[in-house]
Amino acid sequence: MWQVYLKELTELLRDKKTMFFVILLPILVFPVLFGIMGLVVANVAKNAEAEEHRYVIINADKAPELAEALFYHKNFKKVESDLTEPEALKQAIREDKFDLAIIIAEDFSAEVTNLTQSQWTVIYNMSSQLDMIDKYFNELLRDYSKKLQLAKLDSLGVSSDKVDALLQPVKLEKVNTAESRENLGEKIGGFVAYILIPLCLIGCSYPAVDIGAGEKERGTLETLLICPISRTAIVLGKFLTVLTTGLASALITVTSFGGWGYVIGSLMGVDIVAKTMSTLGVADLLLILMMLLPLSAIFAALLLSLSIYARSFKEAQNYIGPLSMVVFMPLIVALMPGVELTWAMAMLPIANVALAIKELIKGTMDIGMLLVIFGSTVVIAGAMLAFCVSWFQKEKVLFR
Amino acid sequence: MIKIQALAKSFAISRGQKLSDSEKQDVRYSKEAFHSVRNVSFDCGSGEVLGLLGPNGAGKTTTLRILSTALQPDSGSVLIEGVDVLTQPVLARKKIGFLSSSTGLYGRLTAYENVAYFARLHGMSETALKQRIDELFTLLNMHDFANRKADAMSSGMKQKTAIARAVVHSPKVVILDEPTTGLDIMTTQTVLDFIRSLKQQGTPVIFSTHHLDEVASLCDRVVVIDKGISAFSDSFDVFKSLSADGDLRQAFMNVINPAGQNKEYN
Repeated sequence: MWQVYLKELTELLRDKKTMFFVILLPILVFPVLFGIMGLVVANVAKNAEAEEHRYVIINADKAPELAEALFYHKNFKKVESDLTEPEALKQAIREDKFDLAIIIAEDFSAEVTNLTQSQWTVIYNMSSQLDMIDKYFNELLRDYSKKLQLAKLDSLGVSSDKVDALLQPVKLEKVNTAESRENLGEKIGGFVAYILIPLCLIGCSYPAVDIGAGEKERGTLETLLICPISRTAIVLGKFLTVLTTGLASALITVTSFGGWGYVIGSLMGVDIVAKTMSTLGVADLLLILMMLLPLSAIFAALLLSLSIYARSFKEAQNYIGPLSMVVFMPLIVALMPGVELTWAMAMLPIANVALAIKELIKGTMDIGMLLVIFGSTVVIAGAMLAFCVSWFQKEKVLFR
Repeated sequence: MIKIQALAKSFAISRGQKLSDSEKQDVRYSKEAFHSVRNVSFDCGSGEVLGLLGPNGAGKTTTLRILSTALQPDSGSVLIEGVDVLTQPVLARKKIGFLSSSTGLYGRLTAYENVAYFARLHGMSETALKQRIDELFTLLNMHDFANRKADAMSSGMKQKTAIARAVVHSPKVVILDEPTTGLDIMTTQTVLDFIRSLKQQGTPVIFSTHHLDEVASLCDRVVVIDKGISAFSDSFDVFKSLSADGDLRQAFMNVINPAGQNKEYN
């Protein structure tokens, strides 16, 4: 068995494709991709913030102070228009003549004596995820309303020191019991699982194809089968190889993300990474690795079974495509907002490991549940491996 | 010394698999299974070279795969130097060297590593395998490319490496499945020389082939398999005498189509 293991590892290490998938991808390609993604997102947000919105204001003379504030706001640009009807304004916005229409009620008066509520209308396209118009306009309106409020209260005989008691009788101070680690874990924990688990799968899949279907395609399988070692030993040797690369891939990724994070963090002065690293103890990292071990074993056994069944590289790759979809489904479930690790979720393979990793990063893992998840994953892995071994004994699988 | 008796092997036909018309006419197809090998018996003494002849799909490869323990027969027995291949496959495998024209090498390993891997799988010690590989590389004139990766070798080098790999554990019998099919003339010569050298050492060789000239120049015994049955098994001379003028092709046709049954094939 160890002979097979050693030889497969030697061969894989000499293969450029494996090096790419297992080492280069996580060390260089992924961080670069994520970096670019982050830059693009940051850029989009920045552009949205700097964008200038053309507006039309109806009955501006009723609220001159607001009109002036709008006029001098750097993100708003006034456009002249003869339109006054809401429908016509809507149509004009759709035709991209301007972006925003503000209709101030005709009967509005900024006088302090006016004590009726007035209803205004704003018209714009609200489909954007970053609704900057809403943000900027509300800021202006809030300031304007506050001024009116104070003036009106003053006219009613409320002095400025009583204003707070009247407008906000209760002020709330919030004290968060969650440690900063728990907050952070909730935010990035699911994401970490989402990266680690597929990486284990990818790390397993290329070598699995190479040493299963590849062996068939090259015509070396037959020779291997008639060597005086049992087929179980051959399968276990191959299985361990696949498992090793899967885990190596995950480990290298974690290390590389940590390293890159540290570099970027120290360059940009962001200490969130350092914080995460310091809160995550060695024990937690080992526990995460412990959870990944049986999961990778499941992947390795499954992939090897598929690969040895296939007649060629191509066929094996065709089988692996749908398999990765099956793996992603429970992962997506685990990443849904509001999904917590309950006993019911602990029964769902893959999703339970993803949630356990999240809990481990948050530092709120229930140790009993962790053991149950680990145990059930080990049992599934054992069953898969047993299947793989018996699968490897079948003539109709080996000589298709 | 190899003795094979009444081998039979069938492969299940998956449900829904449609048989072609020609397959339906083949007596070996039943509703559930394809009886690839029905009754094959022959034996081969030490120092003898046995040629296995037969049309495509006759059951030659299946027979050789059973011999090499890759497949398990449904019934029959295979004895190699008294060891039953079926009950003691691991022990029997140590006595067998197997090679076919489609046998591949591990492309990213060197010639030496390819051979050494199989030597280790055969349980050879490091010193023993080093000595044996050195010996084989000298014999096959392979030292020049011992450290070259198989991916970068010519087909002749690959075939030599495959030969060295097949005999590194000094097998008691060598089984070759169409060893010269698809090889160029030079490489074929390497294989034939190798069979000859095995014969000189007294190692029995069983090989299947479609080339009657190879049979004529090498074989002591001839077995013809047709439709999963060993239709002929005797010495080369007896085989040759099956045709009036000693023409091997005619002799082969006479075995496949005994007089009076010709219609079946027309």
